[in-house]
Amino acid sequence: MDTASGSSSVLRQLGLYALLTIVGIALLMWAMSWIASVTGSAERTQTAIDPETRSASFLLGDEPPQLDSSKATDALSGMVLGHVMEGLLAYNENNQLTAGVAERWDIRERGATFWLRRDAKWSNGEPITAHDFVYSWRLAVDPANSSQYAFLLYAVKNGEAITQGKMPLESLGVTAIDDYTLEVEFENSTAYFGKLVAFSTYYPINEKFHKSVKDRFGADADTLLYSGPYMIENWVHGASLKMVRNPHYWNPGRGGLDIIDFPYITSDPNARLNLFKDGKIAIAGLSAENLGEAIDRRWQMNAFAEGVVFYIEFNHRPGRVTGNRHLRRAMQLVNDPAELVYKVTKLPGYLPGKSLFPVWVQGVNGFFRQEYPAPEAPVNIEQARWHLEQAKQELGLDEIPPLILLTGDNPLSTLQSEYYQDRFKRTLGLDVRIDKQIFKQRLEKMTAGEFDMVMAGWGPDFDDPLTFGDLFASWNEQNRGKYASSELDAQVRIAQRSVDTQERMDAFGEIQRILFEDAVILPGYERGIVYVVDERLEGVVRRAVGPDPDYTFARIREGS
Amino acid sequence: MAETKLTPQDFAPLHSEREVQSLSRPSLSYWQDAWIRLKANRRALISLYIVIFLLAFTVVGPWFWTIDPSTIDPDQISQPPGANREVVVTAPYEPWSIDSIVVPASGMALVGEPTTQSIRMAWAPMPGAFGYRVYRNHFPVEPGKALGLPLVNILNPDETWFEDRLNLKAQDYYYAVVATDATGNRISDPVSVDVLPERVITAEEAIRRGIASAEEPPAIGTPLKMKLHPLGTDYLGRDMLSRLMHGARVSLFIGIFAPFAYVILGIAYGAIAGFLGGIIDQFMMRFADFVVALPFLLFMIVFKLAFSVGAGESGIFAMLIAMIVLLWPGTARLVRGQILQIREEGYVSAAKLMGANTNYLVLRHMIPNTMGVILVTLTFAVPSAIFTEAFLSFIGMGVAPPTPSWGSMCNEGIKTMLTTPHELLFPAALISITVLVFNLLGDGLRDALDARMRSRE
Repeated sequence: MDTASGSSSVLRQLGLYALLTIVGIALLMWAMSWIASVTGSAERTQTAIDPETRSASFLLGDEPPQLDSSKATDALSGMVLGHVMEGLLAYNENNQLTAGVAERWDIRERGATFWLRRDAKWSNGEPITAHDFVYSWRLAVDPANSSQYAFLLYAVKNGEAITQGKMPLESLGVTAIDDYTLEVEFENSTAYFGKLVAFSTYYPINEKFHKSVKDRFGADADTLLYSGPYMIENWVHGASLKMVRNPHYWNPGRGGLDIIDFPYITSDPNARLNLFKDGKIAIAGLSAENLGEAIDRRWQMNAFAEGVVFYIEFNHRPGRVTGNRHLRRAMQLVNDPAELVYKVTKLPGYLPGKSLFPVWVQGVNGFFRQEYPAPEAPVNIEQARWHLEQAKQELGLDEIPPLILLTGDNPLSTLQSEYYQDRFKRTLGLDVRIDKQIFKQRLEKMTAGEFDMVMAGWGPDFDDPLTFGDLFASWNEQNRGKYASSELDAQVRIAQRSVDTQERMDAFGEIQRILFEDAVILPGYERGIVYVVDERLEGVVRRAVGPDPDYTFARIREGS
Repeated sequence: MAETKLTPQDFAPLHSEREVQSLSRPSLSYWQDAWIRLKANRRALISLYIVIFLLAFTVVGPWFWTIDPSTIDPDQISQPPGANREVVVTAPYEPWSIDSIVVPASGMALVGEPTTQSIRMAWAPMPGAFGYRVYRNHFPVEPGKALGLPLVNILNPDETWFEDRLNLKAQDYYYAVVATDATGNRISDPVSVDVLPERVITAEEAIRRGIASAEEPPAIGTPLKMKLHPLGTDYLGRDMLSRLMHGARVSLFIGIFAPFAYVILGIAYGAIAGFLGGIIDQFMMRFADFVVALPFLLFMIVFKLAFSVGAGESGIFAMLIAMIVLLWPGTARLVRGQILQIREEGYVSAAKLMGANTNYLVLRHMIPNTMGVILVTLTFAVPSAIFTEAFLSFIGMGVAPPTPSWGSMCNEGIKTMLTTPHELLFPAALISITVLVFNLLGDGLRDALDARMRSRE
């Protein structure tokens, strides 16, 4: 066989295969799109904004896990509930606390009184009364209901004792004086109570309705009674959710949308971007990978600080080497949040972490972090190595055993955990093993204490530094590393009980100092969100505390 | 009539003249013959060279290219091959002191030298502003056009300065600032400034990265060259070439060793079952069916537990065992089918009649005749094993970071496919090439080893 013709025949054959493959794929794609167009024609055509029906479409990142307001704990459920429910007080479009179901209120040192508006009605037309609040608050602390967020009601007299089963439900310090007057007694003085009642755990629940649907409450669109500006008309689990205006809401002029539609539920960032490109949804969050495309397409982007702080939490349980303060100090001295944020994470809107308290938290007069600057530990590798030697001596070890870093399974957590792994290896010679887990599994491992370090985050429940400040109190369930310090506990008690703002902020300043000096956490970053909004839509409110994003004030621009 | 004189020599036996009837070429053994036919197949031969090259790349490569595959270089993240490496030494980063800020009388101006360490800017206060928002763009600022990446929302009308440190590259940036009201809505036209920052590195970092010597720390302003990465870097600034070499160890180890092990197991099992036949065959094949029904992933998890592979430890050994234990029945079935068929062939009966023992029959007649099937199985098993490894590494059951493998590199590269395609292309190309050459080589080997095609032109 002639070698020259042999090699050319090989090439020809390869070329033919390649051509056939490409033609085959093209045909397959064409056929699939044809099938899709044939089968998909039955569905309505979906557009992001429809000025005729005054509707707008958005995307839900996930199925809302819990729409029973007495039990909901996550931000997504909080967002949906914020649209269809209203508590005594609520946040307005400027993120200020305003009247909700209550039209007037009076918060005193030992208690509070709320006067409910008489035109506030449930979505079935029945009036919302003070009894509905008494019922829902008792439900939240009821040990039989075992709500994870019962602790938010510990501010109300006997709340903690009832949750522990030591007192009857009726002893909860809230009474309906008449249908439209609600009287609250505090356990200790609670200066921030107004901020608490805006949170979902404090939303009203209609007793008659709740008992009629029993365990199905909050599981479907028709097993909820709505007190907010919108109500869920249709909810296909895992697929879509549609909200329409609540005809009985007391303020019919609120917002400009008649329909808030969530036709897609997906957490895939690329799907999200494609839906926005195709004009199917009006808002899309951007991830680091598609920022470049957004710039090239010249989209008008927005950024906002989401209010969530992320940090590495150590396990302080006995038997864990991370219980050693010198070891934690060593790691604190090589931790470089600026490098993490600016070079590794590379997302705008992210701030290098310095403290457990984020920058937006209010202090006495201005921002807390400006009044109480966070102590800083500039990177100092030599000193860190000295601390490491001390740690080895105290622990009686020649070598620190490999540390388990528990982390989430999303791309960003992977990136950051690998960065930390290299950082601790390169600077201190510490071996770090990455334990990647899905959210639920990670929470379980965190609760069980199966980690040395965990990449954790905390978002605010109410607009007061205490939502962060009591996180490392020895009795807090969310204190996953079981850090215990009587000094810190004492400061948390002051912050909880005092009504003097100065005294409370001083306590938070002390908490910030103790967390730093004991190296309880390694601050990572404060998360920001970059997103694009359809130009025809305005008035979408983003906020750190409360339902986010809030579409109840959104309007469609004139002329679009 | 002439008389014939006969001598005793005439009655001597003739020399045997075997040469006349002998074959025209030397006798060849089975393997020699196969080798000749393989050599004639250019595709297979080239594939063989590539396989040898890949093995050399894996085994010998790291001796020549000694960069550690897990060293992170935050200054060269996601660099494509052949990126500009010029860099200038600068002073260590100092936080910007508020006192030193000079606010321009109008518009926006840079403060200090713009570098990739930080770009500092200040602007004249704007009337009526509650706060400011700073944008960064890759395009010149034009009226009515988008301003680009929102970098920061400043909530203080007196804070008219900003320092950008976010992922700065040596490229043109166009900054713009707008005034905002209390709710964050834009209330003014943008004022802008454009910048081309200089790529810099601090002396300390230069020493740590090994591009300057510690004995003579480079002075500020010294031009240096960043560390060379011939195939670029990945999403954490790790050297791609080194990662590909080290990743090949895992991928080729699993991709070659596991299929060989379970194919050999399958051949032995299938040959025994097929040759013995009858009730034993039935029993053995039902056991194979049982093994097929076992879920692979579940067994992976069980093996990980059984070998007490903890979090963040490599599960490669458990993966290997799981593959060998669970994947052999496919080969066993094929081989058994072939053996059953060959057992009835005439030449096997002939060999039996000539007194060949069982070993000889199986090894000499049956296995070589099933070689075609076996090699097809093997060549398909290699890519599938490489992909299995990739998949398992992706779900966290394979290699543990920072150890690379081609599969895990692909999974990481696919996230940034549009912006930095080289992170996906190189490992994907290597997987594709490996799979292709194993297929072509297997094709050639099948033709070469097929006993029925022996000595056919």
